[in-house]
Amino acid sequence: MMTAPQARPAVPPVVSPAIAPEPAPLLDVRGLTISYGNARGTLRAASDVSFAIRPGEVMGLVGESGSGKSTVAMAILDLLGGGGRVDSGEILFDGVDLRRLSPSERQALRGDRIAAVFQDPFTSLNPALTVGHQIAEPLIQHKGLSPRQAAARVQDLLAEVGIRDPRRVAAAYPHELSGGMQQRALIATALGCEPKLLILDEPTTALDVTVEARIIELLAKLCDSHRLSALFVSHNLGIVNRICQTVTVLYGGVVVETGQTGRVLSRPAHPYAKGLVAALPRITAERRHRLPSIPGTVAKLAGPPAACVFAPRCPFAEETCRSQPQAMRTDEGGDGVRCWKADALAGTPWPDEDAASDRRPRAAQPRSAPLVEVDHLRKIYGASRSILPWLRRAGTVAVEDVSFTVGRGEVVGVVGESGSGKSTIGRVLLALTEPSAGTVTFDGADLTRQIGSGDQTLRRRAQLVFQNSAASLNPRKTVGAAMDRPLVLAGRADAEERRRTVASLLTRVGLPAAYADRYPHELSGGERQRVNIARALATDPDFVVCDEAVSALDVSVQANILNLLAELRDEMGLSYLFITHDIAVVSHIADRVLVVYGGTICEEGPIGRVLRPPYHPYTEALLSAVPRLAEDGQEAPRILLEDAATAPGGRGCVFAGRCPRKLGTVCDEQAPPVHETADGHRIACHIPLATLAERAAVFPELADGDTRH
Amino acid sequence: MFAYTLTRLVYLALVLAVMSVLIFLVTQAMPGDVASMIAGQFASKEVVDAIAVKLGLDQPLIVQYGHWAAGILRGDLGRSLVLEQPIGPILMEALARSLVLAVVALFVVAVVGIGLGVLAAVRRGKLTDQLVSGVSYLGIAVPDFFWAIVLVLVFGSYMKLLPTGGYAPITDGFLPWASHLVLPVVTLVLMLLARIARLTRSSMIDVLQTNYVKFARAKGMPESVVILRHALKNALLPTITVLAIDFGLILGGVVVIETIFSYPGMGRLLLFAIQRHDLPLIQATILIVSAAYCLANLTADLLYAFVNPKIRHGMRAS
Repeated sequence: MMTAPQARPAVPPVVSPAIAPEPAPLLDVRGLTISYGNARGTLRAASDVSFAIRPGEVMGLVGESGSGKSTVAMAILDLLGGGGRVDSGEILFDGVDLRRLSPSERQALRGDRIAAVFQDPFTSLNPALTVGHQIAEPLIQHKGLSPRQAAARVQDLLAEVGIRDPRRVAAAYPHELSGGMQQRALIATALGCEPKLLILDEPTTALDVTVEARIIELLAKLCDSHRLSALFVSHNLGIVNRICQTVTVLYGGVVVETGQTGRVLSRPAHPYAKGLVAALPRITAERRHRLPSIPGTVAKLAGPPAACVFAPRCPFAEETCRSQPQAMRTDEGGDGVRCWKADALAGTPWPDEDAASDRRPRAAQPRSAPLVEVDHLRKIYGASRSILPWLRRAGTVAVEDVSFTVGRGEVVGVVGESGSGKSTIGRVLLALTEPSAGTVTFDGADLTRQIGSGDQTLRRRAQLVFQNSAASLNPRKTVGAAMDRPLVLAGRADAEERRRTVASLLTRVGLPAAYADRYPHELSGGERQRVNIARALATDPDFVVCDEAVSALDVSVQANILNLLAELRDEMGLSYLFITHDIAVVSHIADRVLVVYGGTICEEGPIGRVLRPPYHPYTEALLSAVPRLAEDGQEAPRILLEDAATAPGGRGCVFAGRCPRKLGTVCDEQAPPVHETADGHRIACHIPLATLAERAAVFPELADGDTRH
Repeated sequence: MFAYTLTRLVYLALVLAVMSVLIFLVTQAMPGDVASMIAGQFASKEVVDAIAVKLGLDQPLIVQYGHWAAGILRGDLGRSLVLEQPIGPILMEALARSLVLAVVALFVVAVVGIGLGVLAAVRRGKLTDQLVSGVSYLGIAVPDFFWAIVLVLVFGSYMKLLPTGGYAPITDGFLPWASHLVLPVVTLVLMLLARIARLTRSSMIDVLQTNYVKFARAKGMPESVVILRHALKNALLPTITVLAIDFGLILGGVVVIETIFSYPGMGRLLLFAIQRHDLPLIQATILIVSAAYCLANLTADLLYAFVNPKIRHGMRAS
């Protein structure tokens, strides 16, 4: 019913493509300059940004944080807020300059002709209103439907975005839905008034990979069937590759490259685009490979750029680059690049990191006793006993019977989605949470019992690095003071000696020693994460838990931190438990991987084995959902999982509810047997190993030539 | 929701039981002796002892407490020693008058305070915002008795528009009743308004920056809908808590204001009981005030659930 043609007298008839090979763009942004002003001065968020989106086309707007990509999207919606101001430029939508419209005319366009979906579905829905009410609002506002008519339309919309029981979802409050369902509801809201343009601002960034794959599939299908145009704002090149026909790369508020997605991502012309593509972690079994990274941070501009914005970080920069602003050079095909050296650099790849020939990987000591041993670990949250019978509760199982070891100098990756229990495992290993059952042995000693008895020596030997680099540093303490604390706790009395230690630790993680006097807000995200790592190293630990330690960082910085962590492992012989949702990141650093789902380990083994068949059905789906660039080879057919209908639990396999290869009732009723091979590869599944091994490899390029294991 | 309310009521009973013990012990520890106060300054020891026996004051504390607590459970709050009347009716009358004051004052505070808070948040940093801040600070910074005296002088003594104090029951007619309420209510509003307005302003500012407000704007909702339907309902949670505390505060007696306006509420009753060393009256009054406080808080928590479905959900689970 969404595709039913509707008479729209105001819109001129579409010229048939045969007559006009180049239809007029639906959205034409010309010379858009945006700045944020406050008492301390102005900051330029976008300088002379131009791009066009044709009808039915999806354009990716990519760049790292601070590149201005979200600002541009918000300017199109007239939702800049917070001191943001469009200084100059035109935003032509269907030939009309939106900047010449009154605020109420723009409000009438929003949600009707131009609709939006934002990043975080968990916070984009109002917790106090039902989902159905929120989807109905624009229908009532823009289309003049009665609440009853709108309610009927809401059901159709929810069904169209793949929700199986629209009636229940419409009556639900947002917190009663999963993240994937919430994002579907937001997409349904955006589609309601049959818009011509969708603004998608990182619409899948907050979702799990398997859910993301389904949402992207849905968006691609809808854009196609409704002939929708979309502006797809994202930092994720793999996703952009999957859904966008064209791409525009922003850096420091300036468009540095634009063109067909396939061409830009496989043969980037601008040095920044080269760097971005090179720094993207790809699934690899070559663990010793250092990821290329882009040094430095984005410079903040106050006025029009006086030189190439990327020159300070560009390995190819010359004197000309630093003294003259660059002009956009566009070829006849419409591809453009803002670099005068682009042609000369056409065949030159982004430089590899120094192979660091002095790096001396420590001989692994696989034969010695493991450093950490986890035995039948179980953790239940929220169980409570009470004298009031209606308050007694069995609790939620976060981790169910998990056993594994971490060897000395070994990096064990833990991969799983939100709610898989991966963070709980990390917390129990650091004795931040007491296990409900099972033991954790650290270097031969029972960790829980020893710390319970007040002995803190083991704490010094096991440290933690969190995801949120800003929130894990006290904003009112200098970097030096933050790092001094663990040293004092470790009993280092001499203040002068502590100061020297802090300086050497900062140098160790690649920061100037003078940073000890800075406050966290004076540092960039990558620098703060280096400080967190330095602080974790202060007590000279043997074991570090990295809980999503690089997930919040931009690709170029992420590569940087991953390299640092790898270096520290090689030089200091550290063991890591590397917890992440990103299997590509894990493949770069981990020796062994645990794939966890619903609090249990469904597959475990050396990274080279886990990436190849036989796969656990969940691992296979997870791997196939990883977005990739075109140059990385043919994509295997994607395995799309259903949204989780119920929370995992019960007696059977935890994955049974979503498993695409479920055998039958045996999966619901019996815990799966563990198949184990000689090289330590273990899969917990009812399907026989031989049958699992028949599946095609998700990454055929990895099929042969593995030197490890 | 039902289980939640039941749990809270069980806790409420426990809190009151503990309170009753504390109240009983504290009043026992007060200086002075009831029997000798009743007997008068020049009474002989025999007379004082006789009175003590008559009141049961010669028995062990635990027995005295038992008698008292058992009486309360039967709905008997005891007899006032000074007034020589049953306490129940006296207390209920004072409570009713305090309730009137609390309901009217809180209604005005809620409407005006939330309104000003929303206005200030929406016009953040502009003149309106600064004006609201300035005026509400003036209310909070100047002590309540000052406003009370100024109001009495201006409207009572000079302009003779309103009675300077006292209370008229509604049976005397609406106008006399209302005119006696105006000055105490205005004083209370001046005292409480600032906090409510500031609180609403700051939580409204937080909510206006949330993604769901941004998304509501992206749907093309008019600003009035964004603010009233999407933002306000979520911004009200902290305000409700503070309103409930204020409600308990007024119900428990605002001694200074009641004294200045000679308003016969809980505050004046308690003051009278303490001055005259009327132990049973002190005990009963404090116990009722505690109960009123607890009930006001429970009401706030249930209101929370009404406003926020997520909390309702949590209550169903708990």
